[in-house]
Amino acid sequence: MALIQAIGLSKVYGTGDTAVTALDHVGLKVEAGDFVAIMGPSGCGKSTLLHLVGGLDRPTEGTVAIDGQELNALPDAELSRLRRRRIGFIFQFYNLIPVLDAAENASLPLLLDGVRAAEARARGIEWLGKVGLADRETHKPSQLSGGQQQRVAVARALIAGPALILADEPTGNLDTRSADEIAALLRKVSGEWNRAVVMVTHDPRIAAYADRIVFLKDGKVVDETRLSADAAGNAASVKDRAEALSK
Amino acid sequence: MRIEWTLALRYLRGRRLRALLTTLAVVFGVIVIFGMNILVPTMMAAFQSTMLAASDRVDLSVSQKSGESFPASVLETVRKTDGIRVAQGILGRPFNLPTDWFDRDPGTPDRVGTLSLLGLDPEDARAMRSYAVRDGRFLSRDDGAAAVVSASFTEPLGLKLGDDLALPTAAGVVRLKIVGIRSPRAVPGNEEVLVTLPEARTILSSPERLTSVEANFAVDGEEKRQEIRGRLMGLLGASYTLEAPSAGENMAQVLQMSRIAFTAFGALAMFMGAFIIFNTFRTVVTERRRDIGMLRALGADRRTVVGTLLAEGFLQGAAGTALGMVLGYLLAYAGIAAVSPMLGQLVRLSVGAPQVTPDIVAVSVVLGMGVTLAAGLFPALSAGRVTPMEVLRPSPRDAYYRRALGAGAVAGLVMVALSLLALASGNLRLLSLGTILFMVGLILLAPALVRPLAVAFGWLLALVFAREGTGTLAQGNMTRQPSRSAITASTTMIALAIIVALGGMVTSVMGSFTDLMRRSLGSDYIFVPPAITVWQSNVGASGSLADRLRRIDGVDRVSTMRYAMGVADLKPTMSKGPQPESGMAISILGIDPADFALVSYLSFSEGSEKDAYAALGKGRTLIANPILASSAGLKVGDSVPLLTPEGRLEYRVVGVAADILNAKIATVFLSQANLAADFHKNEDIFIQLNLAKGADPKAAAAAIKEAAREYPQFTMIEGRAYFEELLSLFQKAFSVLYVLYAFLALPALMSMLNTLSIGVLERTREIGMLRAVGSTQRQVRRTILAEALLLAAFGVVLGLLSGLYLAYLLVRAMAAMGFPIGFLFPWGGILAAAAIGLAFGALAAVVPSRRAAGLQIVEALRYE
Repeated sequence: MALIQAIGLSKVYGTGDTAVTALDHVGLKVEAGDFVAIMGPSGCGKSTLLHLVGGLDRPTEGTVAIDGQELNALPDAELSRLRRRRIGFIFQFYNLIPVLDAAENASLPLLLDGVRAAEARARGIEWLGKVGLADRETHKPSQLSGGQQQRVAVARALIAGPALILADEPTGNLDTRSADEIAALLRKVSGEWNRAVVMVTHDPRIAAYADRIVFLKDGKVVDETRLSADAAGNAASVKDRAEALSK
Repeated sequence: MRIEWTLALRYLRGRRLRALLTTLAVVFGVIVIFGMNILVPTMMAAFQSTMLAASDRVDLSVSQKSGESFPASVLETVRKTDGIRVAQGILGRPFNLPTDWFDRDPGTPDRVGTLSLLGLDPEDARAMRSYAVRDGRFLSRDDGAAAVVSASFTEPLGLKLGDDLALPTAAGVVRLKIVGIRSPRAVPGNEEVLVTLPEARTILSSPERLTSVEANFAVDGEEKRQEIRGRLMGLLGASYTLEAPSAGENMAQVLQMSRIAFTAFGALAMFMGAFIIFNTFRTVVTERRRDIGMLRALGADRRTVVGTLLAEGFLQGAAGTALGMVLGYLLAYAGIAAVSPMLGQLVRLSVGAPQVTPDIVAVSVVLGMGVTLAAGLFPALSAGRVTPMEVLRPSPRDAYYRRALGAGAVAGLVMVALSLLALASGNLRLLSLGTILFMVGLILLAPALVRPLAVAFGWLLALVFAREGTGTLAQGNMTRQPSRSAITASTTMIALAIIVALGGMVTSVMGSFTDLMRRSLGSDYIFVPPAITVWQSNVGASGSLADRLRRIDGVDRVSTMRYAMGVADLKPTMSKGPQPESGMAISILGIDPADFALVSYLSFSEGSEKDAYAALGKGRTLIANPILASSAGLKVGDSVPLLTPEGRLEYRVVGVAADILNAKIATVFLSQANLAADFHKNEDIFIQLNLAKGADPKAAAAAIKEAAREYPQFTMIEGRAYFEELLSLFQKAFSVLYVLYAFLALPALMSMLNTLSIGVLERTREIGMLRAVGSTQRQVRRTILAEALLLAAFGVVLGLLSGLYLAYLLVRAMAAMGFPIGFLFPWGGILAAAAIGLAFGALAAVVPSRRAAGLQIVEALRYE
């Protein structure tokens, strides 16, 4: 059974004359440990797809199942629990809680799940170490650089041991070097730690770190490509492909 | 710790200033409610314990319920009752002494201001109590003008055995020789001057009368004693009581009134606090939408989100309540510390530390916490509705309370319309409801009023900020998010409404009282006793003083007032003050209607002045003052049973009218003939006189002064001077209100500052854009200032409207309680409120506008 099984997903905003179809009968299948990049021009529906898969939004048509669990059928509280335990989110603007320190931010999903604070903190520190922030656990977000904040966000996404990480433009707000570091980290998440990663990006260089790229245009899947393990080598061909498809 | 509490604590710590300001809103309300509700009962408890201490060491004390004298035959009745071992009759009364009576030195405070003169039979007395004498001897039956006093009285005054003690009495100054000095007085209460019963009857001109009978039982066992008490009550009748008479009743009433007033003020402060908390929480939710959305995306359920905000409310409510209670206790402590030296000296009353009862703690906690949580609940619930999608929006938005606009405005309009109907009805209950409707209606209507008012004021702004375009921009900012502007304006509105309402009340009270004062104290000369309104301890003059005054050349009319304590056998309809078990304690004033009508003044609210004065004295008739009339629901023609020394007697109400001196105390006016017949009182305690036209004022004044010389208990003063003295006292009392203004205005300023600053924060990126396209720093500053002024003007308009409504309600409510006041339009309050509102608006703009102007353009553009 696939980890993500999305069938015939459509999302329409507005009604009547003002209706905009953001997603038009899209299907997506992701297996455990897959690293999938979703690419496409602005407004192609890539973020919408991610929201629907993550249970942040509900589709107008179609179904999403995570681990065979149909999201449409879940009430809000169950959906919240599913997000807490099975899915990790990484956002473009990191979205750390400004009043909590790095270890607390990283351990937030555990705290939300009722894990004791001391234990949660210990695991938070452990994960900060794994993402390369061993000595930053008591820093507040405002004391960290953008790249460091995003690492905290990665630790936060991983800490509850989810099978699926959803990343929405995770490098969109970072300089080139930090962006590469985060992309490599996500590569490690999928390869070494065996979590499925679905990442939305418009940067071919970042998408090149994935195993597979799904190209969207005008709410439809227009292409799918498998990549080799050599990110640097992939980058140029991904760029060409993206440019060709967006014409 | 659960995550809700961790987050709540961290957010509060992260925004210390705002948390403090919001918490202060709770603190103010709790201080007032808690402080006043422990101060007043503590004082009352002290008064009550004084009364208890005064009646120690005897088993039984018989007195008239009214506190006035009764026939000496009661002593025989008590003595003959089975089971009574011994009894004594006492004739006594408190004596107010004129200022500087003993030391003749205005520079030092008087050690003794009030005495109790007690006449007793020396042998009966020693059979009941020891009356140990330290120096000299106790009284004997054949003593004449002799007195026994205590060392705590003589020592501070430097009096010795054998010295004369001069006392001002109704018959002139009396001199008593000190024959014995007792040990210093240990219990609270007035210093006692003991004389023989015949001497007391002469001094007080009360032949064959007593004020109390004390007795000890011959039997033990509470059951038997109860049985004797029951038998005795049967013999004496309902107008007698076996408890000590509750003197200090008036004081208790005044204290009770002030407690109610302060509680009402505390409730107002709480209401505003609730609004400030609501506003802050609402802003917090708006600011944190992204954080909340992220939490939801990470899997926090709604309960966690709502719980975090409620936890913040709980922490702030708890901190605010605790701090308010501590400060309120200190306030009460300081208040008691300020008055207790005076009380200790004058009446040997020791007021202990403030007494905190469980119920007032409970009320404060429930109010403080409840208001905070209730005000935070709606924003918290709306936070629970934030979707995880919020986190993915490019910038936080607050298009949030907007959808309430349509329905809310209609509901608001209906409420305002209903409240105007209530205003037209004049019914007090409808008016109170109307006030709430009016304010809530305006708050609901506010978002819809933003645009028209912004346009109206924008025109003014355009004139002020001509050729800069900033006025238009500010107007646009304000109308872009009507709900946010409306909330800020509503907060201002509540603060200003309270200021206008208080101003309106003060204007009306001052105006009405000044008018009443001018008319009722407008006589040429007034003889004033030491204690105004607490009449029972004043020593008056026998009728001979008034007669002598009448005979003076140039004196036209003399009007006198006489006093008796009384109990009306009525059930109060609204007052919850401490009352005797049956009936209401009232002041009874005797007047001569013909003289009174010409020299003094009563303001009639029911019955005609002419008919009422004519009816007074024909049979048993009375004029009730509005305080009594409203608290007992009396109308002209009603019958009022008074418990008199002659028994329970029915009086008929012939008018409802107020004078200035007794405006706060339940009072009836009788003819002096009725007062003499039913209450055995004929001392004049207040005298007013007018000179004849064409009289030589200098000669008349000299003769009046000469006549007054034998009655040093009175201060003789010109009516005009007295009026001015009272007026300045009155104004001083009202200056306290300015402190209250500050209490209410400060948190309002805070919340305005808060809202405005957040408005600037939210638009950081937009301001960056303005600067990027070429706005000068000055233009940015002026835009923010213009917006603040627009918001303030909006709040001022709403505040004035609801303030006037509230003022009208307060004045009507006071009138219904019996205060002789009418509504006067508070021009002063309106101007003050408008000025304060606009000044605060400008002040609130200072920090945000500097911040906005100082923004780094690049950073501002990047701001999330």
